Order: sequence, then structure tokens, then C-alpha cells
Amino acid sequence: MNSNGATGNRRKRFDRLVAVFHGDMFRYAAWLCRDKSIAEDVVQEAMLRAWKSLDALREDSAAKHWLLTIVRRENARYFERRRLETVDIDNLTPSQSALLAEAPNEELDDLREAIFELEDDYREPLVLQVLMGYSTNEIAEHMGLNQGAVLTRLHRARLKLKDITANEVSS
Amino acid sequence: MSQATEMMNCEDYKQALTTDPELGNESGHADTCAECAQYRAEILALDMKIAAAMELSVPELKMPELPELDTAHVVSLSARRSLSKPAWFALAASVLLAVVVGSRFTDPGMEETFGTLEQQVLAHVDHEPMALLPSSTPVSDSRLANAVPNRIATMNRGIGLITFAEFCSINGKDVPHLVIQGERGPITILLMPHEKVAEATTFDGVNIRGVILPVGDGSIAIIGDREEPLEEVQQNVLDSVMWST
Repeated sequence: MNSNGATGNRRKRFDRLVAVFHGDMFRYAAWLCRDKSIAEDVVQEAMLRAWKSLDALREDSAAKHWLLTIVRRENARYFERRRLETVDIDNLTPSQSALLAEAPNEELDDLREAIFELEDDYREPLVLQVLMGYSTNEIAEHMGLNQGAVLTRLHRARLKLKDITANEVSS
Repeated sequence: MSQATEMMNCEDYKQALTTDPELGNESGHADTCAECAQYRAEILALDMKIAAAMELSVPELKMPELPELDTAHVVSLSARRSLSKPAWFALAASVLLAVVVGSRFTDPGMEETFGTLEQQVLAHVDHEPMALLPSSTPVSDSRLANAVPNRIATMNRGIGLITFAEFCSINGKDVPHLVIQGERGPITILLMPHEKVAEATTFDGVNIRGVILPVGDGSIAIIGDREEPLEEVQQNVLDSVMWST
């Protein structure tokens, strides 16, 4: 295969993968950084990095895990570069507020805010399980944790959200 | 799974449910316990709400400007793969041979069989793509100690953020295989105490470049993104690693 043909096939493969997984990349990034604008930047950087290292991905069946791992790394790099302060729920930027204002729904607004306020360590495994469909084993591998730690975090995250929703019902 | 949950007590079942609500779809403990059945219903309902609350509208895909990749003067991917497979089989054969013969002396014909050291290094990197996933999680001290035993080398973490560490074999010889996170992505480092080279050798692959540095009676291979400033990494590696023999 000549160089042009190989490049063309590479580009087609990349376009196909990005088209399929762009939504997951964005949602994951948005819940990691809790800011829609930053999430778009992170996804752009992640796509660039994925393009450069596409040859490291042997099987397209592993693409989702591979791309989300790149998103995770790019998010960490973004915050390393910017050294952003932790998010104060009472003092949000418009871009952060936009995440909370998604599809206004009185019942879901409080829950979304509660998810937003969860500590990163609890929010991330929950997003991976509920939104990305990861098993607890896959979450452990993805986050570099043992499975026990993942189970504990998922348990505590759900209990926190359950308490919040129960309090709302009672009040 | 249902048998497993049948044997749980209420507390264990509730805890398991909050870690993985999929359990709630299985028959088991909750079928015979009204309180846990109620709890299961609450958790399943909560999870549906969580999933709905997490849904976000996704902006239209904007493809970044993708740089042209220089493939004209490097080994093509297909060429790399075509040499990887025989190199890997040869590598496996060498390990088998080493076990059977029980010796590790160098066969003069070995290089001819396995290809050059650069080719073997590339083949080994190619064989472990999962090692090259970007990561921000450092390997544990125990994993690092297993991958780099004291009988081979001592090293410190000044080498960089180590995200992968395995004890591998190249040419039938022990080779600690590390991955650190560089400016442009993962960087592979192979510590080869028994592979003596006369001088530093550079080599290229698709999107990557590497160097094999002479270090005492052995050598160290460093492979990273084409745009990675490997010279800075080299100094860190040389400052951080010391052969034990």
C-alpha cells in the first residue's frame, strides 16, 4: 500500500471512530471537569492525541476505552496547565452553569446539582458505570484502582445521592 | 449471580446493590425479603434518575485540524507489523530455547535470527500497545520493584511519572519495561543490562522515534512520540538508573 493510501485509510478509520464515540468523549469530559467549554477543549486535545497515536490502537473494539483513557489524561493535563481552583457551586461561571441548566426538569435539577457536587473520586466511577456502561472491573482498570476501592466509591456515591433525593422528598 | 445474592444477608445485599444495581435485575435475595425488594426498587429508580440527570446535549462534532503525518521517510506501519510478527515468534522461540538449554550464553547467530536490536525493540513496543495508553496513575512501588529487581538495576522515581512497569524478555534476556508520561504522550523505556552497544543509535517508526543509548555493559532504549524532546528524557533516565552488575 502506498503512503497516500495508508494515510487515507488511517483518516477514514479515525473519522469513523470519532463519529461513533465523540458523544461519549464529550459527556465523560464534561462530568470530569464540570464545565462544557472546557470539556470541548479537552475533547479537541484528546482527538488530536488520538490521531497521532492511532497506530497504538490495534483493535477497534477497544476504541471506547482507549479514547476515554485519552480524555481522562487530557483533562488531567488541562488542569495541570491551568491549575484551576476547585469549583464553588455558589460562584459558577456561565459555562459551568450551562451544565446544570441542561434540559431543565425540576425533579432532575437537584439530582444533577448533587452529582455536580460529588467529590471527583466518587463522581467519576459513577459516570463510568451509569453513563458509559463500564463494569466495576473496567472502572478499576481505567482509574488504576483495585476493585474494592471502586465498589466503596460507588456505594458511597449512591448513598449520598439517595440521601439527597430522600431529603428532598421529605421536605 | 442469583445464587450468590440468595446467600447474602440483607446488609450485604443492599451494599452490593449500591455498587452495582444490575444485581437488582437478577432473582435472588430480594425475592424472599420484602424489605430488600423495596430497597431494590428504590435503588433502581434512583439509578434511572441518575442516568437521566447525567445526560447532556452534545455539541456538534468539530474536527480539530489534524497534522499531516510524515510517513515518507519512516518504516511504514504495515512494514513494522510484518517484521513484528516473525520477530515476536523468534523471541518466543528464544525464551523456549533458553528454558530447554538452561543457559543464557549468546549465540553468534542470534542477531541474524531475530533482526537488529532496534527491530526487536520496535517489535516489543508494538506487541504491548496497552502499555502506551495515556495515564496519570503511577504504578505502585511493589509493581515497580517487581519490574526492576535490584539484581538488575536500581532506579529512582526521578525518571518521570511511571505508568507501566513489567518484567519482560528480549532476545531471551531480562528486560525491565517501563512507560513514563512525556510531554507528547507515553514514552517507552527498556532497560537492557546485557545488550552492549558501541554507540547511541537512533531509529524511526510511524509517529515515533527512539534511541538506544550505551550504558556501561548494557544499553537503554527510549521510544516516544516523534515530537517528544527525548534528549531531556535521556538525561533523566541516565541520572535515575544504575546497573547492579
